[in-house]
Amino acid sequence: MLDRFLGPRRARQIQRLLRNGKLTLFCLLLTVIVLRGNLGAGKFGTPEKDLDEIRETFSYIRKRTEPRRVLEEATAAQGQQKSSSSTDGTENGSNNYAEFDIRKILKDEDDGTEEFKRDPSLPYSLGPKISDWDQQRAEWLKMNPNFPNFIAPKKPRVLLVTGSSPKPCENPVGDHYLLKSIKNKIDYCRLHGIEIFYNMALLDAEMAGFWAKLPLIRKLLLSHPEVEFLWWMDSDAMFTDMAFEVPWERYKDHNFVMHGWNEMIYDQKNWIGLNTGSFLLRNCQWSLDILDTWAPMGPKGKVREEAGKLLTRELKDRPVFEADDQSAMVYILGTQKDKWGDKVYLESAYYLHGYWGILVDRYEEMIENYHPGLGDHRWPLVTHFVGCKPCGKFGDYPVERCLKQMDRAFNFGDNQILQMYGFTHKTLASRRVKRTRNETSNPLEVRDELGLLHPAFKAVKVSSS
Amino acid sequence: MGSDSTFTAQKRTSTVLPTTAAAKGGVRGRANLLLPRGRQIHKTFNNIKITILCGLVTILVLRGTIGLGNLVSTDADTENQLLIEETNRILAEIRSDRDPTDPDDQSEELFNPNVTYSLGPKISSWDKDRRAWLRKNPEFPNYVNKKPRILLVTGSPPNPCDNAIGDHYLLKGVKNKIDYCRIHGIEFVYNMAHLDMEMAGYWAKLPLIRRLMLSHPEVEWIWWMDSDALFTDMTFEIPLSKYNNFNLVIHGYPDLLFDQKSWIALNTGSFLFRNCQWSLDLLDAWAPMGPKGSIREEAGKILTANLKGRPAFEADDQSALIYLLISKKDEWMSKVFVENSFYLHGYWAGLVDRYEEMIEKYHPGLGDERWPFVTHFVGCKPCGSYGDYPVERCLKSMERAFNFADNQVLKLYGFRHRGLVSPNLKRIRNETVTPLVNVDQFDIRHSLHDSSV
Repeated sequence: MLDRFLGPRRARQIQRLLRNGKLTLFCLLLTVIVLRGNLGAGKFGTPEKDLDEIRETFSYIRKRTEPRRVLEEATAAQGQQKSSSSTDGTENGSNNYAEFDIRKILKDEDDGTEEFKRDPSLPYSLGPKISDWDQQRAEWLKMNPNFPNFIAPKKPRVLLVTGSSPKPCENPVGDHYLLKSIKNKIDYCRLHGIEIFYNMALLDAEMAGFWAKLPLIRKLLLSHPEVEFLWWMDSDAMFTDMAFEVPWERYKDHNFVMHGWNEMIYDQKNWIGLNTGSFLLRNCQWSLDILDTWAPMGPKGKVREEAGKLLTRELKDRPVFEADDQSAMVYILGTQKDKWGDKVYLESAYYLHGYWGILVDRYEEMIENYHPGLGDHRWPLVTHFVGCKPCGKFGDYPVERCLKQMDRAFNFGDNQILQMYGFTHKTLASRRVKRTRNETSNPLEVRDELGLLHPAFKAVKVSSS
Repeated sequence: MGSDSTFTAQKRTSTVLPTTAAAKGGVRGRANLLLPRGRQIHKTFNNIKITILCGLVTILVLRGTIGLGNLVSTDADTENQLLIEETNRILAEIRSDRDPTDPDDQSEELFNPNVTYSLGPKISSWDKDRRAWLRKNPEFPNYVNKKPRILLVTGSPPNPCDNAIGDHYLLKGVKNKIDYCRIHGIEFVYNMAHLDMEMAGYWAKLPLIRRLMLSHPEVEWIWWMDSDALFTDMTFEIPLSKYNNFNLVIHGYPDLLFDQKSWIALNTGSFLFRNCQWSLDLLDAWAPMGPKGSIREEAGKILTANLKGRPAFEADDQSALIYLLISKKDEWMSKVFVENSFYLHGYWAGLVDRYEEMIEKYHPGLGDERWPFVTHFVGCKPCGSYGDYPVERCLKSMERAFNFADNQVLKLYGFRHRGLVSPNLKRIRNETVTPLVNVDQFDIRHSLHDSSV
């Protein structure tokens, strides 16, 4: 056939080519079949899996270009993905804790319908507007003299609030550090007569992540009228000065106390000009109002994203990520100084929040030169491990530095508790303790150095026994 | 190998082709010693074909063994790998019991069995000294608001648990105790230090209780609670006035104790000690079986021989106390109250499945089998590697008990868990502009106060 169009030689060449091609294809096919037969299609063999993997690799590369500084929240979806891919190691009845995946147990047992739901068509609000909270509360306090808001003259009733997720941490030692952190807070609060509320529940799914504290704080203020000050503290902040008592008198004309600097907020609008990881909020109408003003940037999704862009534009040095509560507060104070500024106290005389980076290496120097009770740069009240995220998988700092320094900070604070009982940690990095004084047959004669066993700020009013 | 033969087979077939082709037009080819240009190109093409073919086969084989993903490795991947390795190394270091900075770590001197162990120098006038101190310090009374001052004590080892889930349940246990203590005005101590290395393990509570008693004379009752015990009745308050003439309140059954001499007749997972001389003396009498090493081993044998049903293992504090109270009944029992009218300690296995039934039929405040005060997860040992019961049952039950108690706390705030194993909440009341009405109705402290007035 081809002879008619091309010369005979040409035709033969093309025929040869075709034959070669046919043989080549045939051999290729044989190879693939034989290999599939040997290795199997299951794990690596299917072309679909190939395509998936290629797609995944390229999308992973694409995802990597997004900024790592995004503050993510561990969602249930992530958890489900992981549990489906991990092999299920336990048969029913295993006694070994190592292989167990807790996500097998945790599940909702109702149909998910909300009986008391917020109307989604309305703009977000923390709850119905209350305008007479001061009067309501004053009346209640008058009718309940057994629940006074001042437990001693000049000492208000304080509720320390902190919290963590109800699900286990992604990091295997995260829960251990949360445990040490709460023990540290329990110790400080016992010494200072402060009550603790440890939250492990998400009250409002729309305000998840760092915003979860807002609905919680409002709920606690309204449910505990006897509380005068609510002290929010992040789970990654630790008390390092057990003897320092917050100067409550200084704040008698203020309602909101945060660590920060006036110039950095009102002049520069710097996003780290204050810190919302540790702050005091008075239980009053003003606080409810500022919570209502604070909340609108919080709802998850588009609102939070858009707010994030606004905040990055308006605030100094803020990186690009969704709106967080701290930046939102900086923005509010920076733009509405006349409305809120006179009742906000930006404290910088002591470390109501102390950034860990500049404190943790100096502990030995502090022990040598100073003593507890100062609360400031010489002996910080709070060491706050911002950015460490011990409960998550990746923080902003190297894991080793974070965890080792958290151990040191914990021991630094714990030493002040143990010295009451005559013990101390062997070193700031060690879990072991050693005696600092021998047991005696006259234990009541011994006074602990710092006077923390029976401190003045814990004394009960003599007349009320 | 199979692939090899296909290789060679292919090679053979491909080499066949040019030669057959050459054979066809071979006369001309052999005539010319120098291959013409066309032939050369043809040969080159054939070589390239073979190369490509072999290359494809190689990729197929490699894919079969290594997988496609690793062929496209990025910087991110390797960085990730390094990070994970580094984290694992650090976690292993944190978990290990060894202390890298401690010079004496290796040489831990074991207790000398020839010297009698004692918790501390003998104190004989504690009641008098304590009364004098209380008189001198009226701002630290032992009765606050007409209730005796109680100190709840619990603890766990200073190092991370063998598994992460253990630490998570320790954390939940602490939250549960914080909630109960806040509602009832009880102070709380969480211990994470080994005060006395000889009394390690379950015996660690003895030196701790003694130390706290002596340092806090204003405390009237010291309440020890294990870390695996959870409060499940947030409203129930211990009727301390019932124990005015007693110094030790412990859950148990007198017939199991004296008639059967059972090793589980009492439970030392939750008990109260009055802060007085008698308690110090009892602690001193209790301690001798505790010191780690040969003493504890030998004591274990004695206990197994004398107590019914006890397996063979080293002496534990519970068996030792039972043995002490049985053998020195006249000396101690007059001041010991063996309580079983409410679950000061409630063995979990018989309780956890009945929570839904309890919610339906009863109400908090009863403290007994209808609504247990404490659910104690004996034998689960979530902080270790292996428990005495299947893991799933233990953890599921602990989660249920925790949420059962948490529902009682969240009631004031208008929430409830979506099921006893769910971490998620649902509202049970609308938000209102008069929240104080709900506070008066639902705050446990107000209902307690009204009933005591």
